[in-house]
Amino acid sequence: MAGTDARAIIEVRNLNSFYGQRQVLRDISFHVPAGKVTVIMGVSGCGKSTLLRHLIGLKPTGPGQIFVDGKDLAAFDSREMEAYRKRIGVLFQAGALFNSMTVQDNIAVPLRVHTRLAEPTISIMVRIKLHQVGLTRFGDYMPSQLSGGMRKRAGLARALAMDPEILFVDEPSSGLDPITAAGLDDLILELREAMGMTLIVVTHELESAFRIADQLIVLDQGRVLAAGPPESIRESRDERVVQFLSRRADERARDQEGYLAELLAAAGGRDRS
Amino acid sequence: MTSRTRKAYRVQATEGPLVELLRRLGRWALEHVRGTGRAGIFLIYAVRGIVRRPGKFHSVLRHVHFIGTKSFFVIGFTAAFTGMVLGLQGYYTLSKFGSEGLLGAAVALSLIRELGPVLSALMVTGRAGSAICAEIGIMRIEEQIDALECMAIDPHAYLITPRLVASLVAVPLLTAFFDVVGIVGGYLVGVSLLGVNPGAYLDGMQRSVEWLDVYMGIVKSFLFAVLFVWICTYKGYYAGVDRGSFGPEDVGRATTDAVVVSSVAILVSDYVATSILL
Repeated sequence: MAGTDARAIIEVRNLNSFYGQRQVLRDISFHVPAGKVTVIMGVSGCGKSTLLRHLIGLKPTGPGQIFVDGKDLAAFDSREMEAYRKRIGVLFQAGALFNSMTVQDNIAVPLRVHTRLAEPTISIMVRIKLHQVGLTRFGDYMPSQLSGGMRKRAGLARALAMDPEILFVDEPSSGLDPITAAGLDDLILELREAMGMTLIVVTHELESAFRIADQLIVLDQGRVLAAGPPESIRESRDERVVQFLSRRADERARDQEGYLAELLAAAGGRDRS
Repeated sequence: MTSRTRKAYRVQATEGPLVELLRRLGRWALEHVRGTGRAGIFLIYAVRGIVRRPGKFHSVLRHVHFIGTKSFFVIGFTAAFTGMVLGLQGYYTLSKFGSEGLLGAAVALSLIRELGPVLSALMVTGRAGSAICAEIGIMRIEEQIDALECMAIDPHAYLITPRLVASLVAVPLLTAFFDVVGIVGGYLVGVSLLGVNPGAYLDGMQRSVEWLDVYMGIVKSFLFAVLFVWICTYKGYYAGVDRGSFGPEDVGRATTDAVVVSSVAILVSDYVATSILL
């Protein structure tokens, strides 16, 4: 179903998001073209993981909408949500492997639940996925016996088990050494080339983001700062984008007034007690 | 600006304590009502999993092994000593009235009606309940439950239902085992050690224990089986969710909560169940 044309498979319109009283996303709008790699980039705490949770339907949308193939995600009934989730794969930050089972059993979980395939077929499919992520020899290992990078790759194999149309990746390179991280990036590019998959990657790593992105979305304090192909972001004259790219961002200097207000509030709070 | 803020604070301070108290009370009440509702829905989802996703026999079996088989030793041990102390205490109390012959009845009735179901449920909560809560809590903080949802797998049916079914199988069996071992323990102390007539011990037991007593014990053990799994899995499932923080200390807190709340719930519901069934 994944077309090679750049039709929007997911569209986010004026999305706002809150944790209690705190607003983490403000008026986010963008669309995700099918068959491309979209990278959502930003410093820690800018709301990118929250955005991801909205996109995979783990956090209900507040004001604003997310459209999947033109249908509002918030209006999905449980059957439609199930259908959507069978179309997606998610690689969580630490892999989120089930500790109580071996790597191959982890990968077999979605196959065992959703298909009626015979056990030998499942084991072949598991082996293919393990091979795809370069963990052929590690099927019998428990997740706790693997390194961080291997756990992530095993998580990727599990996310790929049902051959998803859209793959979400949360921080592929966090906590990994540069070489392992680059390997994971290559894997992501391979997936796009070989299977025409739509990928949405959340990361704070500039280098990795520019390497893999067809489209970049830069988030800053819950807003979309810039969006477009990597070249246009790199050539942007916008002061904040430039600052973000050259990593000179000094949160306090940037938000002096807010900092002052914060100090006053703290002093006031002490006054009261 | 400062004088204005000061003034604002002063105004707030005069109407403060009472309003603040009411506000806190309201928030506390709302949180508990919401929590109770959520726990109820949680149980309904878990029960629905039995109908919706039948089979997965080996998963249930694995949990029966964990909740039941692995508790065998500790239950047997507890039961033996409970029965022995009942024999000892019962003998000295009954001998004051010259009715040592009733020892068998006393031991069997207290075990079958009360101590068997309650103590085995408490022991299982301490041994398996805490582990279940911690396991599910870790799955929550490591995003494994989110991962299940994203794979279109209902976490209630996948994680909670097998444990619920396993507990319904294991806890009543453990209770029966507890009763038998306890009665044997009472026999050892009463008959072999203190010299009560063995015929009187067994005959008194046979004549005084009725179906209603056994029935009461069975009903209670099923009730406790549901209670302990419900509370322990619920606490683990929502570990850290309300605080919005997902760290190891949230799992620790959830586990402590789970054991305390389950134990209290077992004791309270024991009273309620007894008063209804009697």
